[in-house]
Amino acid sequence: MNLSFLRLSIWLYLAIFFAYLLGPLVIMSVTAFNSPSFPSATPWECLTFEWFSALFQDTRILNGIKNSLLIGAGTVVLSVTMGLAGALMLTQIWPKLRATYYTVIIAPILIPGVVLGISTLVFWDRINRMLGFGPDSLLSSGLFLTIVGQSTFIASYCMLVLVARLQRYDIALTEAALDLGATHAQAFRKVLLPFMRPAIASAAVLAFLASFENYNTTTFTFGEYPTLTIELAQKVRYGISPAISALAFIIVVLTVFAALANEATIRRRELVAAARRNATVAELSGGRVTLPGFLSGNTAAVLLVVVSIATIVVVGTATVYSPDQCIADVREQKRLEAEKRAEELRRKRDEERKLKAEQAPVTTAPSGSTGSSSFGGVFDPNALQGVPSEPEEEGGADSGFGGAFDPNTLQGSGN
Amino acid sequence: MPRILKDFLSRNGTGPGLVMLGLVLFWTVGLIILPQLSMLDFSFRPNLPPPEMGGPKDVYTLENYKYLIYGPEGGSQAYNTVDLMVFFRTLVAAACVTVFNLIICYPIAYYLGQTKGNHIRVFALMLIIPYWINEILRAFALRIIFGETGVLNTIFTGIGLFDTPFDFIRNDYALYAGLGYAYILLMIFPIYNVIESLDHNQIEAARDLGAPWWRIHWRVVIPYAKPGISSGCTMVFMLSAGALAAPQILGGPSSLWFTQLIYQQFNDSSDWPQGAAYAVVLLVTCVLLVLAVMRLFKVNMGDIGK
Amino acid sequence: MVAGVGVDLENLWIRFGDFVAVRDANVNIKGGDFFSFLGPSGCGKTTILRAVSGFLEPSEGNVLIGGKNMKGVGPNKRPTALIFQNLALFPLMKVWENIAFSMEIKGASAAERRKRADELLEMIALEGQGDKLPSELSGGQRQRVAIARALCAEPHVLLLDEPLSALDLKLRQHMRTELREIQQRVGITFIYITHDQGEALTMSDNIAVMRAGVIDQIGEGKTIYNDPATPFAASFVGENNVFRGKVKRVSGDRVLVQSNRSGELLARISTANLGRLKEGDNAMIFIRPEAFELAKTGTEGDHYVSARVINEEFEGNVFNIFMEGDGGKEIKVSLPNLGQSFDSHKGQTMTLKYDVKNAVAMPAGVLATE
Repeated sequence: MNLSFLRLSIWLYLAIFFAYLLGPLVIMSVTAFNSPSFPSATPWECLTFEWFSALFQDTRILNGIKNSLLIGAGTVVLSVTMGLAGALMLTQIWPKLRATYYTVIIAPILIPGVVLGISTLVFWDRINRMLGFGPDSLLSSGLFLTIVGQSTFIASYCMLVLVARLQRYDIALTEAALDLGATHAQAFRKVLLPFMRPAIASAAVLAFLASFENYNTTTFTFGEYPTLTIELAQKVRYGISPAISALAFIIVVLTVFAALANEATIRRRELVAAARRNATVAELSGGRVTLPGFLSGNTAAVLLVVVSIATIVVVGTATVYSPDQCIADVREQKRLEAEKRAEELRRKRDEERKLKAEQAPVTTAPSGSTGSSSFGGVFDPNALQGVPSEPEEEGGADSGFGGAFDPNTLQGSGN
Repeated sequence: MPRILKDFLSRNGTGPGLVMLGLVLFWTVGLIILPQLSMLDFSFRPNLPPPEMGGPKDVYTLENYKYLIYGPEGGSQAYNTVDLMVFFRTLVAAACVTVFNLIICYPIAYYLGQTKGNHIRVFALMLIIPYWINEILRAFALRIIFGETGVLNTIFTGIGLFDTPFDFIRNDYALYAGLGYAYILLMIFPIYNVIESLDHNQIEAARDLGAPWWRIHWRVVIPYAKPGISSGCTMVFMLSAGALAAPQILGGPSSLWFTQLIYQQFNDSSDWPQGAAYAVVLLVTCVLLVLAVMRLFKVNMGDIGK
Repeated sequence: MVAGVGVDLENLWIRFGDFVAVRDANVNIKGGDFFSFLGPSGCGKTTILRAVSGFLEPSEGNVLIGGKNMKGVGPNKRPTALIFQNLALFPLMKVWENIAFSMEIKGASAAERRKRADELLEMIALEGQGDKLPSELSGGQRQRVAIARALCAEPHVLLLDEPLSALDLKLRQHMRTELREIQQRVGITFIYITHDQGEALTMSDNIAVMRAGVIDQIGEGKTIYNDPATPFAASFVGENNVFRGKVKRVSGDRVLVQSNRSGELLARISTANLGRLKEGDNAMIFIRPEAFELAKTGTEGDHYVSARVINEEFEGNVFNIFMEGDGGKEIKVSLPNLGQSFDSHKGQTMTLKYDVKNAVAMPAGVLATE
């Protein structure tokens, strides 16, 4: 009883936690397919893909992606090489200096990103002036500054990833290579580097992701190379659109895709290794090991295939699907609702007028109610008839003017 | 020193050794140490147009630091209350976010670290995936949820909890939720790493001795996980205090984050030395706070980043 | 075929900070020799090997290979190949790529490399295993691959750093014979590092016994076993019983020692210590367990030991008798099992005869077990 209660509460906690973690992403993804121009999941109006096409027509976003890729590539190269050099140095530095050295190379992780951005900007600006270069030299270009600024701390992440693998490296392997006649460079290239390859790949991915999403440092250094993140931040700060949700959705899908692919390969490798272990020598040397199928016993691979198919189906639908009918329907429905309300309103107003007319036949103006002048156009049946043909909808008439349509308010103002 | 250098080069080969040394020096000196010193130096200088830099007016001054405390010269108030309030609010809020994160993450980290099975991998994946997605987009997602016509308000007004939409953003709830959200992974992973290496038998033994669950955690698990906890807290605190995107997107218009002041000085008022001084203050304060807390809990620098 | 070349260590000192790892080593190793450095762990034997292979610069003195001074010559330029203690096979390369690595470095084509690797695989009786990964081989097979890889580099000197220590006993004994055969077939100099005296004795032409950075004795296995130069060599190589005492009389190479517990013992002074024992000196006498013979009381003469039997055991080929010795150490006696009847003597005092030439005396010193 007690135990099952405990288990239940654990699962409940996990559910809430992951809802907090994943919920926002799910909701954001949903808003990418909803037609209102303010990203919202509720109320659901129409399934639409227009925000994706809006996204692909946004030149600033596209330019931002290009800059992000450029800067990401530079950062990956610089921070992985520096991280590798830093990690190698850590394994052989003079013991007395080790702690200090470690503190220095780990510090950038803890230094606030804005501080890194500022210090990079200030330092290279000074170097640039000392060397007597103009404001358009390489050293003051946003590309260089951003790569350098980001690499300062991304190299620390890379170093941590690489050092973890390096600790499992047997230095005797390098010595063996040297002993067999290799130069230091050959030993590095042929023995250490292949050993480090998985860690280098992880570090590179990590570095690229960190660079791609960096804002705090980049915002001071980007100059004439605004990255995607910078562009997004500008957009988000000054008004949000479902086109951003669409971009987020694409990134979420790519991420899930990459994660599943990674899982599937790991699982695949495990299965192959197990098969090889169980195989006999004769089978191995004859190359006749029966390897398990790609999908067998590999949930991640199955999911990967499912996600791929889903993506293809969705993209296929998107090219033929047109939400126009639905949007028109919704609009029509809204129009009807608005008309109904207007009708009601008119009826009430007429009643009022009658009432008033009975009470004071001459004094009241025919258009009547106070404060309604701004809504006048909307309520005018003639104006309303003109509206449906226009693309703009006066921005979600139901919510924005909901209060104004409340009969009670009107009645109050009428009195 | 030359002997050490000689040994180093003979161990790594002259070419590779020099490349490696060059890279490490470029990183540590050229990217880490010198820029920070340069920023420090810059923060003690007056704001001059480039032609006058290095000229007779370019002298060291405490002006930029005085500004943080006393405000503009001849200002109406004795102290720069606005900026100082922002500064303290940032630190306190960052500390609160850190504690909040620790409380919600510890059970998860403990569960992931001490439970075996395939579903743990799935959970780990679900933890990581949100962090592969842009920081801005994560803040954006929260803005969709917390906005005035956002999901939360629609739901709450829909079920009749609120009469009118509640402004989460103006009241900074969105900001705190966003900051907490942004750094969950950085809190979970260090703690998880440590707890994973804790022998489950220790917990069994404590339970066997009749210890209630909270005492097991207080006396066995938490002391063991201390390096992970301090590492996670340090990172979350530093990153929250230094966050810029979340406050810009989720913060209310009236309440600023200290990094936003720095940003304004750089981008809006073009007063770099002033911004640098504020950055130095932020960096030094955070480092001192973290060191003090690490001292208090007796953990050392080597545990960070594990 | 490559001819083995000699290796000479001249006044070799190697220091790490204040710690002296190798103290004034002088060794001449003949070309084509199977030479072992034998000593307990931490005695500096691996350090010497690393100095020969070029991973360490000596603090003082010289390493000569084939008469050439190797000062400033890197490990990749020396005509040596090292077999590492953990073998250091490249884990990501296939067996044949491992073997032909030294050719890959020189830019040989894949076909050439494959051909040479297959030849060597045949030599080490691993035909057809070239496409496996090292992790897919057994311990003994990995061992042989490491040797093939080293031989592929055509070294003049092969250095082996305790290569058998990771193997189990049976395999280790098998590999001893195999290593010796390979050495005789290729004819190059082998320098072998071990702490296992059995390995050193069975394989080597010559052995250097090392203790704490110092070479105690260099010689053939038989000489070291029968005529040790120091108490350390005597006690480290093979089993030995030690009797401590004071010299009563010296005549020629014979010495009479008043032992602490076992009465007067007559012994032969070891060759290296001739003329170094005087009356009144502290001396040690070493008699191996198998050098004793049961004697009837009263017929002993002056070369006998009598002591109380504490324990007995039967080991198959020998009977072991443990008797009270001096310094709290037991005296071990091994009598060959020739099918004779053997009565228990537990608790009794027994008298054992020995041949004087098998009792080796020398000035007292440090024992291996101390």
